[in-house]
Amino acid sequence: MTRISPPPGQKIIYLFLIFLGGFILYVDINTNNFQIIKNGFNSFQISTHFFIKSFSIDPIMDFKNHFQFKNKLIKENKELHTALEKSYVEKYLISQDSKFFKDKKFLEEELDQNNLNKPFYMAQLKNLDPNIFNCCDKHRIHIQLLTKSNESLIEGVVFNSSGVIGHIIHEMNYKEVMLLTDVSHSLPIKNVSEDFYCNARGSGMSDYIICNYNPLISIKEMEIGQNFLTSGFGGIYPKDIKIGILEDIKVIDSNNIELNIKLSSNPLDSILFGVINF
Amino acid sequence: MKNYIKVIFIIAIINFIELSISNALSKAYIIFPLTFLFYSYYVYKSDENINPIEAFLFGLFVDLISNSYFGLSAILFCLMTYLINIYSNSFKLFSNLQICIFFGLSAASYVGFTQLIVNLYNFSYLTLLVSAVFNIFFCIFIALISMYSGNLINIRK
Repeated sequence: MTRISPPPGQKIIYLFLIFLGGFILYVDINTNNFQIIKNGFNSFQISTHFFIKSFSIDPIMDFKNHFQFKNKLIKENKELHTALEKSYVEKYLISQDSKFFKDKKFLEEELDQNNLNKPFYMAQLKNLDPNIFNCCDKHRIHIQLLTKSNESLIEGVVFNSSGVIGHIIHEMNYKEVMLLTDVSHSLPIKNVSEDFYCNARGSGMSDYIICNYNPLISIKEMEIGQNFLTSGFGGIYPKDIKIGILEDIKVIDSNNIELNIKLSSNPLDSILFGVINF
Repeated sequence: MKNYIKVIFIIAIINFIELSISNALSKAYIIFPLTFLFYSYYVYKSDENINPIEAFLFGLFVDLISNSYFGLSAILFCLMTYLINIYSNSFKLFSNLQICIFFGLSAASYVGFTQLIVNLYNFSYLTLLVSAVFNIFFCIFIALISMYSGNLINIRK
């Protein structure tokens, strides 16, 4: 059948829809107006996935396990694995590198000084698209708390056994976490000798954040392998948490030097996370 | 209506396949917009002109399921539908190779535009070039299969 070229009326509709699409795109990039729809769809997608899995794959797997008399062993193994991952997260929290709390006495002092009377929450990974590390500037994951929380955890710091990975930006059924590598994420950092401060932004690539500075203003010499810590200036992340090491220095021009900092934390390291709100 | 549901269902499956293989392909600097290519093929093979509102809604649906910015695919799907509708009769004069190059380059344009929006900070011309070559060869491959074994999927209205 011969197709006719679009008549002028239809061309106007095309033009209108393209402008409408452009407007929607502009609004979505610059505001969070469509976040509810996206989060709702994500929640639906995750719930459907788990629902279907629980009625299709899981019974088959359970039957198989039961048949092989290994289900008890597998359950115990899962519990041990969860407990081990939980202990890794807790270990990080009380480790020497972390300044969350060093020991019980330090914890009590911190509680008194900073009103840190809030507990930390354990959370489980619900959704992570690994493609984001290869294609996109927007690096987000979704987590779900294992215990109920009545307080708002927006801007709560999320960490796993390898270190701080980001902070919560939205909360509905699941909490949306903006990772340190998201290009719209900004993290105030400093070097160990505390004579260099900058705001590191996400690089859009996994494991790296980028810090730009003007060498005419800051004359500090940078060395590869230098450690960087959080400065605590942003008000979200606590001070003196190890973030990563300097891996590359790029001179963009006479006014701009770019530092590539390799993060010590990796969100793919474990499926359990700690969430703490300062 | 039945046809729309069928197309939406196929788009959802193809989008799932696209997202599943994109991680592996990205290591070879290839971005493969399978959903866009399928939609272009659907418009191209359709006996009637596709309504612009239909194109826009399909685009919005793809934006939703692929978790990208709303409006991004909607604009590009509208543009592609418009182009194919305009040249629908001219395509009959073109050789299969020319049509494959057209769809391959359209897919490369789609990749370029989406990368400018979602991955501006790590935009790579190498990825764009490799993707263009890959997409053209993919279209030629599909055309060869269609020629020697008939239509793969009957999605005509």
